[in-house]
Amino acid sequence: METNSRLQTPVVLPSPPWEERKVRGSSGYATGPVTKAPAWHGLVAWDMLFNGMTTGLFLVAAISELAAPDVFTSVARTAYPVAFVLLLVDLLCLVLDLGDPLRFHHMLRVFKPGSPMSLGTWCLTVYSVPLTATAMIGLLPGGWISLEWVRRLIVVIGFLPALGSAVYKGVLLSTNAQPGWKDARWLGGYLTNSALMLGCAEMLVLSVLMRHVSAAAMLRPALGLLLGLNLVPLCLLAVDLRTTLSRLYTRWQLCGVGTLALGGGVLLPLFLLLVVDSPLSMLSAVMCIALGSLVIRFVIIMLPHASA
Amino acid sequence: MASREVEVAELPQRSEPPSGPFSDIARRLVDPFRTVSPPEPRPATGFFTDTTVCIGCKACEVACKEWNLLPADGLHWSGNSYDNTRALSATSWRHVKFIEQLGEPTPAASVAAPETPLTSSPAFSLQRLLHEPKDGRWLMMSDVCKHCVAAPCQQACPTGALIHNEFENVFIQPDICNGCSSCVSACPFGVVTRSSLDGHSHKCTLCYDRQRDGLVPACAKACPTQSIQFGPIDELRERARNRVEDLHSRGVTTAYLYGDTPSKSYSQLNSFYLLVDRPSVYGLPDSPFNPWLHMKGDYLRAIVSGLTPIAALLAVLFLLGN
Repeated sequence: METNSRLQTPVVLPSPPWEERKVRGSSGYATGPVTKAPAWHGLVAWDMLFNGMTTGLFLVAAISELAAPDVFTSVARTAYPVAFVLLLVDLLCLVLDLGDPLRFHHMLRVFKPGSPMSLGTWCLTVYSVPLTATAMIGLLPGGWISLEWVRRLIVVIGFLPALGSAVYKGVLLSTNAQPGWKDARWLGGYLTNSALMLGCAEMLVLSVLMRHVSAAAMLRPALGLLLGLNLVPLCLLAVDLRTTLSRLYTRWQLCGVGTLALGGGVLLPLFLLLVVDSPLSMLSAVMCIALGSLVIRFVIIMLPHASA
Repeated sequence: MASREVEVAELPQRSEPPSGPFSDIARRLVDPFRTVSPPEPRPATGFFTDTTVCIGCKACEVACKEWNLLPADGLHWSGNSYDNTRALSATSWRHVKFIEQLGEPTPAASVAAPETPLTSSPAFSLQRLLHEPKDGRWLMMSDVCKHCVAAPCQQACPTGALIHNEFENVFIQPDICNGCSSCVSACPFGVVTRSSLDGHSHKCTLCYDRQRDGLVPACAKACPTQSIQFGPIDELRERARNRVEDLHSRGVTTAYLYGDTPSKSYSQLNSFYLLVDRPSVYGLPDSPFNPWLHMKGDYLRAIVSGLTPIAALLAVLFLLGN
């Protein structure tokens, strides 16, 4: 990163020269927020959700199709167009969130790997190419089966930019100066992990809707495992944010959000997935997972606004 | 020396660009990607703001607004001393802060004592005025963009709109910015703001246009007490250190420079301050942190957290497939 060289050798400063003064009254600037909250609101929370859903679905479809083609190819062929539509919705959220949406293409003026938003934009742009190609080939009628190896090659090519598109979002928020976000070392970890979990949940829904019993039977325990795994970065993120959260919210508010996120987004779907064995319970579990993920994203995105 | 004047009509004219909706769209699409060679680097410039001589006249705010054609923000009662600007914004690139510290008497040593009394009148003497304990003090400071040497806003900008110009000042190219707000969230000083009028980010340009013409920025030019000083940054730092030494020798031992040297977590500031109290008292972060220092670790954690479920998924598919 070119500008990081500007951070010069640390200088040890002498003890603070100012004196602690007892001051009457509360006017002044010491207690107010120093940073300005960006105009990122609910649309960004939805963007974060759709970003996870499209990249996660692509990644899980690619992994399943390549690992067990006999079971997953037909479900994966349906998954790519769905991921394409989700990408379009995500891009729409991204564009509408700009101050000047007609200048969206300015994002592609430069490639700055040191800027998570630049890296993310380029990853999404590159990811959209193999995704579009895979989705289009997948929609072709059966006579085009000879293109199957081309489609699989494109899926492999799309793997890395899809992972990059999932990874950048959390780092974009954690590498800035906003209260809460700046302390969230595991935000990128949570969102990437969550993307894969959401992708697995979407694949399960498609398998159920397509009545693909063998695919659903394999994805059900996999989703249970990913739900459990997702708890690890979520807990680490909660530890990162505990100071900010306890400053902003009362114990009861935190209990409410925790119940929604953990109870409704993890424990209830786990119960529905592992104990009740029916298509309806699987669909309900996936709905709960999506809602829980959305709640967590909303809480995260509103942290600087709540601090202001 | 006589200069030859040329009528505009006599100047060689470029052929008129094509007009119409399609050419407008084409221009919008293509123009941002056109590049020109950057200007030759010039000596780095900046601001040194000596808060001990600020009188809160707000001439800097007015001069800034006038020169940069910034609209008025309306007159609001902030309830915070004489501060009705309240914060730096897209339309206020200078902000004079007023800090009323009432309560504890100011230590006599914190005010510079003249060597000889200027007047011997018993009713009014400068010596008495300066040395009698007062019930508090009033700090004033003209805040502005810090023009950080390693600016998080510039690092965050995905469009390349935020650059270090030839004077090493942080500058937003208004025709490039698309209002993504990355710079707003990256700035640890709360300087950059997205305008609700045009949707783009704005902040102090350090009067780039005036500097190119060899002029002093409007705020520094207007400051009646030389609280805001402009010049080559090395000269300013030297001048600022001498000023601190001078204040220390005169008993103001609390004077120090903020942003003059890099800290463990932040670069030098090309707009730095002489303060006499804790930075947070002036609304500045006590220890600013460059958020980019966490980036590698955050990416690593994100990638590992992404690869773990992939490995788990593969394991489940492998086990159940067999």
